[in-house]
Amino acid sequence: MDFLSLITPLFLVLILCGTMIGIIFGAIPGMTATMAVAVCLPLTYSLGLENGLALLLGLYVGGISGGLVPAILLNIPGTPASIATTFDGYPMTQRGEGESALKVAIFASLFGGLFSLVVLYLFAPALADFAIQFSYVEKFLIIFLALTVMAALSSSMLIGIFSGVLGILVSLIGAYDVSRGGNGEYRLMFDFMEPYLSSGFSLLPVLIGVFALSSILIEAEAGVPENAGARKIALDQGKKFHLSVFSGQWKNLFRSASIGTFVGLLPGVGGSAASIMSYSQAKAFSKNPRSFGKGNPAGIIASETSNNGLTGGALIPLLSLGIPGDATTAILIGAFTLQGIQVGPLFIGDNLEIWNAMIVAMLFANVCMFAIMYFAIRHIAKIVTVPKYILLPIILMMCVVGSYTINYGIMFDVWTLLIFGLFGYLAYHIGLEIAPFVIGFILGPSAEIYFLKSLESFGTVSIFFTKSWIAVVLWVLIAISIGLSVWMSRSGARHHDET
Amino acid sequence: MNFTSFPRVSINFETSHLVFPTLISILLGILLLAILATRWRAIWGALTTGPHWPAGIDHLRFFGTIALTVLYFLAMPQIGDLFPNEGYGFLIASIPFLFLMSLLYLHQRTRRYIVITAVNAVIAPTVVWYMLSTVFNLTLP
Repeated sequence: MDFLSLITPLFLVLILCGTMIGIIFGAIPGMTATMAVAVCLPLTYSLGLENGLALLLGLYVGGISGGLVPAILLNIPGTPASIATTFDGYPMTQRGEGESALKVAIFASLFGGLFSLVVLYLFAPALADFAIQFSYVEKFLIIFLALTVMAALSSSMLIGIFSGVLGILVSLIGAYDVSRGGNGEYRLMFDFMEPYLSSGFSLLPVLIGVFALSSILIEAEAGVPENAGARKIALDQGKKFHLSVFSGQWKNLFRSASIGTFVGLLPGVGGSAASIMSYSQAKAFSKNPRSFGKGNPAGIIASETSNNGLTGGALIPLLSLGIPGDATTAILIGAFTLQGIQVGPLFIGDNLEIWNAMIVAMLFANVCMFAIMYFAIRHIAKIVTVPKYILLPIILMMCVVGSYTINYGIMFDVWTLLIFGLFGYLAYHIGLEIAPFVIGFILGPSAEIYFLKSLESFGTVSIFFTKSWIAVVLWVLIAISIGLSVWMSRSGARHHDET
Repeated sequence: MNFTSFPRVSINFETSHLVFPTLISILLGILLLAILATRWRAIWGALTTGPHWPAGIDHLRFFGTIALTVLYFLAMPQIGDLFPNEGYGFLIASIPFLFLMSLLYLHQRTRRYIVITAVNAVIAPTVVWYMLSTVFNLTLP
C-alpha cells in the first residue's frame, strides 16, 4: 500500500482539474481528448510522473466524456468517439428531453469507464507477465500484428497499410540510434539537415501537428463556422430523467462496455469504431430496432458506454506491450518518455506504485467526470456556445508552447508542428489514415531494432516463423486480420454494388 | 544485408542503418503501385475533372491562418533573442498573433467583439506566459 503515499491533495486536485479541462475540450466541437492531452503535456514536465499522469488521465477520461454534450445538444459529435451518440441523443433534444439524454449518457459513460478500469487492472499485469517471455522476434511480430490489425480496421486496408508504413519511414529519418544498438549513421536526409534532424522528428510536435493544427486548418478552410443552433437548446421541456431508463439495459451496458474495451485494445482503431459497433449491436439485439435513430435512450447507452470503455482498454497494450491503443494513449508515451520511463512488459513490475497510482487516478477521474457532468450539466451545456474565434487562436498558441518546450526550447520543433499540421490537413483531403500513420511513426524505430537484431542474432529469415509457438500464433493472428480485412472489403464492395 | 543462401542472411554493421529504410521504401513503393492499380480510375477522375482544391474553401481564413502562423513562428525567436531566457519573445509575439487570428475568424466585426478579442489577446498569453515561465519554470522563446 506504499502507493497511498503518492495520493496527495495535489494528486487529487490535478485529476479534478484534468477532468474538468478535458470535459471542456470534449464539449467543444472540433476539440478532442487527444488535443487536450497534447496541449497540456508541457504542464507535466515539472509535476513528476505520478502527478503528471493524474492530470493527463483526468484529461483523457474528461475529454472522451465531454464529447457527448454537443453530440446530444447540437447533433455534432464533440469527439469522433461520440458519433453514434448523435443518432438518438439529438432526437431526444428536439423533443425537449436534452437534459434527460445527457444524464443517460453520463451514467452510461461512468459504467463504461469503470468496467474498462476493472479489465485494465486484471488483464494488463497478466499480459505483461506473458510478454516478458518475448524475444526480439516476438516483439517485432507483435508490432507487425498491431499494424495489420490497425490497417485491417481502416476504411481501406491498402490505404491503412500505406499510411502505417509511411509513418514508419518518417520515423526512420535521422541517425540509427547508437543507444539502441545502431551504428549512428544518418539516413533518409540531406547533410544540411543534420543539426535539426539528427534524432529525427520529435514525437510530440508531430502528434500535435497532425491532430491539433490540422484540425484548426480544416476549421479555417471551412470559414470557422460558429454553432448557430447552440442558443436555441431546450433542455427539460419533455420527460424528466429517471434511473428506470436503465431497467432492462444491463445486457446492452455489458455488451457495449466489452466492445469498447476490446476495440481499445486494438491499436489505432479509435472510439468512433467502438461507438458505431456498439450502437449496431444494440440495435440488432433490440426488441424494437425501429425506435433507434428516433430518440431511443438505448442507443445513447450503447455509444457512451463503449466510448468510455475504450479508455481502460487502450491503456492495456500501452502498459503491457508498449503499443498505444489509440491516439491519446500514444501521447501518454510522451509523458513517460519525459520522465525517463519506458513502457512495455517490465513497466508494471518495475513501477508498481505508479501502476497503482494510475488505477486510482483512472477511478477518481471517472468519479469526478460523473460528479462534474451530472451536477453541472446545465453549465457545461453552455460550453458549446464558446466562440471559436477566441478558442482556436489560444489552442494554436498552446500547441506552440507544447512543441517548443518538449526538448527544452528547440525552435525546429515548432516548425515540425507546422510541417505535420499541413501534412495532417493534406492527409485529411487525400484520404490517408492518420491513426495508422501515427502508430507507425511511434513503433517504427522499435520495429527496426527488433527486426535487425533478430536477423543479426539468428542469421536467418526463417527465425520469424520458427522461433517459438508464440511466433506461430502471432502469424496465425496476422493472417486472420488480413483475411478478415479482405473479406470485409469484398463484402462491403458487394453490398455497395447491390445498393 | 546479404542473402548468402536463402533464408540465411548476414548484416554488415557498417551499412546496417540502410537495411530497414530500404526495405520499408520498397514496401511503400509496392503499396503505392497497388493503390494506383486498384484505384486508378478514381484517381484519374479526381485529377482530370472538378476543382483540385476543396470546393467552398474560405481562402482568406485558410491562407490567413498559414501566413499569420509563419510570421508568428519567425517573429518569436527574433524578439526572444533581444531578451534572452525571459520568454518575452513568446509573450510579445503572441499578443498581436492572437488578436489578428481572432479578428480573422470573427464573423461580425462589431466594436464589442473587437474589444473582447483585444482583451483576450492580452490576457491569454500573459496568463500562459506567467504560469509556464514563473510557476512551472519552463523554457519559452
